[in-house]
Amino acid sequence: MSIGQTDRTIFALVATLASILAAAACRADAILIINAKLHTVIDPQPIEQASVLIVDGRIREVGGRIAAPAGAQLIDAAGHDVTPGFMNAATQLGLVEVSSVADSSDTKVNPGALGAAFDVTYALNQNSTLVARARADGLTRAVSLPGSWGDFATAGASAPFSGSGVVLKLVDGAGWIDRRHAAMVVVVGGFAASQVGGSRSAEWILLRNALDEAKKYRPSRGAGEPRDQLLNRLDIEALQPVVAGTMPLAIAAMRESDIRQAVAVGTDYNIPVIVIGGAEAWRVAGLLAERKVPVVLNPFDNLPWTFDDIGARADNAAILARAGVTIAFSVPGIHLSHDAGEVIREAAGVAVANGLPWADALRALTLNPARIWGIDDHYGRIAPGMDADLVIWDGDPLEPTSAPTAVFVAGRAVSLTTRQSLLRDRYSPLHKSEPWPPGYR
Amino acid sequence: MIGCRRGGVLAVAAALVSLQVAAAAVAGAPATSARVPLPFTLDSYPSTYRPLPRVDSLIVGAVVLDGAGNRLERANILMVGGKIAAIGPDVAAPVNAVVIDAHGRWVTPGIIDIHSHDGDFPAPFTSNELVHSDVSEVTDPNTANVWAEHSVTVQDPSFSRALAAGVTTLQVLPGSSNLFGGRSVVLKPVPATTVQAMKFPDAPYGLKMACGENPKHNYGDAGRFPSSRMGNIAGYREAFLKAQDYLAKWQAYEKGDAKEAPTRDLKLDTLAGVLTGDIRVHIHCYRADEMAQLLDLAREFGFHVTAFHHAVEAYKIADQLAREHVCSVVWSDWWGYKMEAFDAIRENAAFVDAAGGCVTMHSDSPFLGQRLVLEAAKSMAAGQRAGLDIKPERAIRWVTSNPAEALGLGARIGSLAVGKNADVVIWSGDPFSVYTLAEKVFVDGALAYDRNDAKRQPRADFEVGQPGAEPTP
Repeated sequence: MSIGQTDRTIFALVATLASILAAAACRADAILIINAKLHTVIDPQPIEQASVLIVDGRIREVGGRIAAPAGAQLIDAAGHDVTPGFMNAATQLGLVEVSSVADSSDTKVNPGALGAAFDVTYALNQNSTLVARARADGLTRAVSLPGSWGDFATAGASAPFSGSGVVLKLVDGAGWIDRRHAAMVVVVGGFAASQVGGSRSAEWILLRNALDEAKKYRPSRGAGEPRDQLLNRLDIEALQPVVAGTMPLAIAAMRESDIRQAVAVGTDYNIPVIVIGGAEAWRVAGLLAERKVPVVLNPFDNLPWTFDDIGARADNAAILARAGVTIAFSVPGIHLSHDAGEVIREAAGVAVANGLPWADALRALTLNPARIWGIDDHYGRIAPGMDADLVIWDGDPLEPTSAPTAVFVAGRAVSLTTRQSLLRDRYSPLHKSEPWPPGYR
Repeated sequence: MIGCRRGGVLAVAAALVSLQVAAAAVAGAPATSARVPLPFTLDSYPSTYRPLPRVDSLIVGAVVLDGAGNRLERANILMVGGKIAAIGPDVAAPVNAVVIDAHGRWVTPGIIDIHSHDGDFPAPFTSNELVHSDVSEVTDPNTANVWAEHSVTVQDPSFSRALAAGVTTLQVLPGSSNLFGGRSVVLKPVPATTVQAMKFPDAPYGLKMACGENPKHNYGDAGRFPSSRMGNIAGYREAFLKAQDYLAKWQAYEKGDAKEAPTRDLKLDTLAGVLTGDIRVHIHCYRADEMAQLLDLAREFGFHVTAFHHAVEAYKIADQLAREHVCSVVWSDWWGYKMEAFDAIRENAAFVDAAGGCVTMHSDSPFLGQRLVLEAAKSMAAGQRAGLDIKPERAIRWVTSNPAEALGLGARIGSLAVGKNADVVIWSGDPFSVYTLAEKVFVDGALAYDRNDAKRQPRADFEVGQPGAEPTP
């Protein structure tokens, strides 16, 4: 069915009018938060009785006393902690609903034609109940990566690549992809190696070969590619931004030897590398700092859970931060994506209990992941010009007993209602005397 | 109600014993023909646990959550001979006692993890264990014959991590692959070279059962029985019918009505032990509707369900669980990793508690097992936000006295009452804070872990001589 000329004109007029109205509404959509204990991330100490002015989704002004623009919504933080919205540095948000249910999960692709070219973007599901849960827990940004990493890592679709991931902006509306092709994921280690010839060496040789082939690639040559090339056209094109240094290689590695190999790949190919997992990263803290290789780590990992993390220890985060390594947090397992907001706060708190300065923990939840994943030009601290991702907390934000009382993503207050909060209300003991079953509530 | 029924079974057993004694006396039977106790009530693998070296100690000036529901602001706790000898503001040290200054510190009873796989799912997990780990005997839906203690690797580093986190008692369970997973064992996470030396002396045994997805998938996917939830229930019923028959035969033999002793059957031993009330029933069960089915099953065969583990939907039937005196063993927030965990809410523990039910936090993980008080803290906070008045002195029971009762050890551990085992934790601060760590952990009055003394920080053999685990260079 085609749209007639008149209809089209009317449609265009309405659309224009709507956008003007939206813009006007947006301009009036100023929010002033006052009386905050403000953690800007860049100031060494929190600012008491601070104000933050949000206009058009961005932070306009930060200070002690700010005059409210006409029509601005005024929010009194009542002296509570206000931080940037937090960022989980490795999740599978938008890619999974029920982990064990294959048809609700798009986290990885089966071995086949797609390897490095696998891109999670097409599967992202913003209606996932996990997204609202994470948001209500104060998470406003998240990296969503393909593959399987952590202790029982499995090799990528076309080993060693798992494909490229995205940075998500957890808005309650359109435009939630903050940065596509944020990183190319590579998974290495003892468990992953079993799928790649049975040895870590095979993983590293394949990775280096892939980078070599990608460097030699000339699109104009087309069908004239050397016959003995291992990578197909899709994968080799997907690796172009990697060898150009514009898309980092995110290498999931736990053991010291693998972390050293990851660093060497970065050095030899002059490309940015991110280590994910990094259980034994503390043993090479100096090297990681020197080569500016950041680590996304799990502060709960303090057991020799596999032969890949014999050296796992509770003060990994503290040692790395002290050495000047940029760290951020992710917790594989049950809470990788479910409770992705809650779990990294608790993990950050545990890192503090084991020696990480509180301010470093806050940075690892905000500015550090922003830098690691390339969105620090608009997210990661409370400063003029930044997207207004802000959370007002009812207590210390690193205490798992605390919770947000308000969450703003890019300047908009988002709902704190979740599927779980609705179930809670259905079954609250306060409803006990009601004669109708909970199914009617 | 269930308690009465169970009492009834025990009373019958007691009556049988006295009948035997009377019969033996009348007949003047020689000692060789004296009836032995029902074989399934014997522990052939008894505890050889001995407390670590200890001195009598007085902890002074701590904020105390005593595990019985009380908070004491500045209390002293005297430990003598491995027992709590006195607690209160004015308790003084006997001449020979060591005085431990705990001003600014908090003290709780030793933490109890009622659902652990430390030792039977040991670190390091290797690729050799992907199919056949030691946690589940995955060859039959009914493995009531296996005992978790026979799988325990005592050199699992997870035990020392648990101890360092204030855990002084663990129930190690078989996995949930089967309808009947086998017997649990209660251990103390103290360094030992044999599992017998870790066994909590004379602790009742538990039977691990599992409902829902795990057994039906584990066997159904392989084309075996059961492949459905109704199959699961049929599997339990068939097994308990046989157990009833087996028990009746033993009772007839004990009474002298049958000449030949029945042939021992290890599976039926355990199930008969459930029917006599000697073995406590711990059921992996997520959904409210399935828990209600299992309660009917228990009624049908006259046993009591001690606890539903992972009971993420306990909040939907909190009143029924309270009425039937069944504990809910829960996490604070795990959800969504499988269908039966999709309706988990963070207020679960608090709602069960508010209904008057027994609630207990658990780990199921050597990592989470190091943060059990935080699990209680998170559940308490969620409950408070839902409008319930729950204080730390109450919520601490979810990791102390409640699991102690569920293990049948309530008279010996779980609170700091005088006469109980001196399982005591001194925390660096409020244990409901993420920043707090266990500083000193006493097991039976012995200082088994001290964060400030490297000589009192046990490490498993596996961790010795590992360059990867060396101290910071």
